[in-house]
Amino acid sequence: MNENLIPQDGLRLTVNGTQRPASAPPDTPLLWILRDVLGLTGSKFGCGLGVCGACTVLVDGEPVRSCMSTGPEVAGKKVTTIEGLSSDASHPVQRAWLAEDVAQCGYCQAGQIMTAAALLARNPRPTDADIDAAMSENVCRCGTYQRIRAAIHRAAAEMKS
Amino acid sequence: MSDPYKTNRRCFIKAISTSSAALVLGFHLPVAAKPGQGGAAPAKGFVPNAYLRIDPDGTVTVTVTKSEIGQGVRTSLPMIVAEELEADWSRVVVTQATTGLGFKSLGTGGSWAIGGNWTPLRTAGATAREMLVSAAAAAWSVDRATCRAEKGSVVHAPTGRRLGYGELAEAASKLQVPTNPPLKDPKNYTIIGTRRPRIDGRPIVTGTATFGLDVRLPGMKFATILRSPVMGGKVAKWDDKRAMTSAGVRAVVPVSSGLAAGVAVVADSTWAAFKGREALDVTWDNGPNAAFDGEAFRKKLEESSHASAIVTRKDAVAAGTSVTAARSIEATYEYPFQAHATLEPMNCVADVRDGRTEIWAPTQAPDRIRERVAALIKQPAETITVHVTMSGGGFGRRLGVDYALEAAEVSMAVKSPVQVIWSREDDMRHGHFQPASANRMTGGVDAKGAPVAWKQVKAGSYLSIFGPPSAAERASSDYWRDASWGCYDNPYSIPGLETGYVPVDSPVPTGPWRAVYSPSCSFARESFVDELAHAAGRDPLEFRLSLLDPAKKFKAGNLNIDQGRLRSVLALAAEKAQWTRKLPPGWGRGIAGNVYDGDTCLAYVAEASTGKDGSIRVERMVCAVDCGIVINPSGVEAQIEGGIAFGLSTVIGGEITIRAGRVEQSSFLDYPVIRMDQMPKVEIHIVPSTASPTGMGEPPVPPVAPAVTNAIFNATGKRIRRLPVRLPAAAGGEK
Ligand code: FES
Ligand code: FES
Repeated sequence: MNENLIPQDGLRLTVNGTQRPASAPPDTPLLWILRDVLGLTGSKFGCGLGVCGACTVLVDGEPVRSCMSTGPEVAGKKVTTIEGLSSDASHPVQRAWLAEDVAQCGYCQAGQIMTAAALLARNPRPTDADIDAAMSENVCRCGTYQRIRAAIHRAAAEMKS
Repeated sequence: MSDPYKTNRRCFIKAISTSSAALVLGFHLPVAAKPGQGGAAPAKGFVPNAYLRIDPDGTVTVTVTKSEIGQGVRTSLPMIVAEELEADWSRVVVTQATTGLGFKSLGTGGSWAIGGNWTPLRTAGATAREMLVSAAAAAWSVDRATCRAEKGSVVHAPTGRRLGYGELAEAASKLQVPTNPPLKDPKNYTIIGTRRPRIDGRPIVTGTATFGLDVRLPGMKFATILRSPVMGGKVAKWDDKRAMTSAGVRAVVPVSSGLAAGVAVVADSTWAAFKGREALDVTWDNGPNAAFDGEAFRKKLEESSHASAIVTRKDAVAAGTSVTAARSIEATYEYPFQAHATLEPMNCVADVRDGRTEIWAPTQAPDRIRERVAALIKQPAETITVHVTMSGGGFGRRLGVDYALEAAEVSMAVKSPVQVIWSREDDMRHGHFQPASANRMTGGVDAKGAPVAWKQVKAGSYLSIFGPPSAAERASSDYWRDASWGCYDNPYSIPGLETGYVPVDSPVPTGPWRAVYSPSCSFARESFVDELAHAAGRDPLEFRLSLLDPAKKFKAGNLNIDQGRLRSVLALAAEKAQWTRKLPPGWGRGIAGNVYDGDTCLAYVAEASTGKDGSIRVERMVCAVDCGIVINPSGVEAQIEGGIAFGLSTVIGGEITIRAGRVEQSSFLDYPVIRMDQMPKVEIHIVPSTASPTGMGEPPVPPVAPAVTNAIFNATGKRIRRLPVRLPAAAGGEK
């Protein structure tokens, strides 16, 4: 949390179900509002260029690169970060990630999980091709792709039953 | 350089008295100390650098001295202790060692975390177990032979009485520390060899794990650095007027302690620092490297590989052996500069003060950070504490300490805690790289198709981040031999086999990169074995097996090569991949194997398909591995899956190119790494073993590229001798 930011009146964001004042210059990417202003460091900085997916959050349920959108663009919409998916790892996607022991360094996984959660919300039974299409914008330098795929199938099966 | 820990298995353990009723044992774990990886020298005398603690509530705490960079050490190392301790795994927690307070030897590299720690960790666990059993026997006044440890308790077998470790901790802490406690027979293992999910899994999936970039301190500023675009350039002059008027910017200071000199913008938030940097006006003194051209250097490497080489190995030809080649072939294999591209860019938090400095770093080398920061800020090392955070990938990049020095320099200048953050572009351009190299291969086969000549000469550079070799090292063939794993440790029996090295210096900062020297050498060696097999008209698998005697072991330099183990993994991978089964049209199959650094034996069979547009897709990778006793199968498999992705990125992904002294790449767009849709199906077969465990972080990488390019040859008849593969743009094969 940082109190020294230039105050920017009027920007209130709904993050993880709570309205929060977010004082930051209007061009500040959502990622840095989350990380530096609101103290939510679960969303990661991987490139700041929209090419790695580490910063992915949900905006009204859709996966969004938080490094590429600004506070004013998401004002009035519902922002969900990894911290808001569930804090006790009870979301089926988080559970599947643990069951498949997906993470290596873990740095990309918040973005992977948010992207997968959005995929499963709109497509409860994704095929391998659907997974390729939805997940190929997210880099995992550690190469956990095979387990991510397995975890998505596992979560899909669990959410259905 | 031989590894001191392999021969010296002596373990010292001592009880540490505390004010609480806990049993605490201090012991010593070796640091990474393989050649080229800059491990600190082991501490003289006995200074414990690791602790095992059993608290009255039964919690078992293992202090891990190795950094977690995604290889799972924070899970696998405690498993080893817990096994001998007969601990209840659900009560085991792990803490990260911090420099200072007796932690003198921290460092993670060379895939050595497991191998080097195997005996000390087991001994520590066994020592505590014996003390707890003795304490229980004394409490019950029974013969200790009638007591046994089991899942966090000691049980008195005849009466079924049971005391938990927590209840016994205080009494045990007062006992003499036994020497040579008995170690368990591997057949009785209940934790080692079982799948244990990562200890850090929950914090990772809930976004609460603290990586370097997640460190937040009261009053902390954020800084980012504009660095000289030309390698080795300097700041000629700079003007901070515009930057200082940028919102939230607090200070602008020059920085020169890292790999590239520059100017730092210190601000109230990361974004303010990034914006402020855009407003900086800096004039650069480009220095001598502005004309350095990567393409010209590549040609120089290629030419140098033909030059007369420092001989690093020369095998005798047995008397009476015919070495008349009926067919001779030659080829040069080229490997480009490569970046680590860890997903978490370099960063570090420093709070430099007189007499008390703290550093928070995602690092593989906390010891070296401490030593180098001490010299930079001119304070005694004892006043500096380095906290190791979680690291978003390492791959050798975090053995460099440049980014920590920069943070200390900026914090000292602005007298405030500062987080220095690298952008993706900074990270891609200003780190250290895997050195580019060329391997010149010549070989021959006789009339019966047996290889009768082999020469591999590597032209490459030393790892500059550890400083240039001394004059004596430069003249020593051992130095260059050890800078070419994968070349001089050729595991095959070929009469008169010869290897050499031609040093070619470059101004490019170079350093360890996953598997260090091996990927380029192994790519050349395993590809050329294939070329020789085809020259002899023989099957590449059968050809390899014929050069490996199941009973033969030999030494190459300081490395132990066990031909039998390599033979077994090659045969196993081939069997599981159904080597002789017919593939669909347009598909090809390739094999490659390796003995990594004298330890882990690993082989792949790759299957690749080609599209009508000439694109390549790697469909399937079948792996067989012998890494001794497996601590955590889930961890070993993860390293193989990850190693395949890493290796594949060198085949169908990116390369670092340099023009006018500047790195040309800037992100995952122009330095592609493989993505979900390019990940092949991976199948892993682990050879059961009772031998001591060996490393798994690096060994999976080197044989990936040659297995895949051998498969491409099988599919297309095109021999790939330069990475990455240059293919028409298409799914799975940009470039
Ligand atoms: S940090 Fe946003 S896509 Fe990489
Ligand atoms: S787990 Fe390390 S980048 Fe994905």
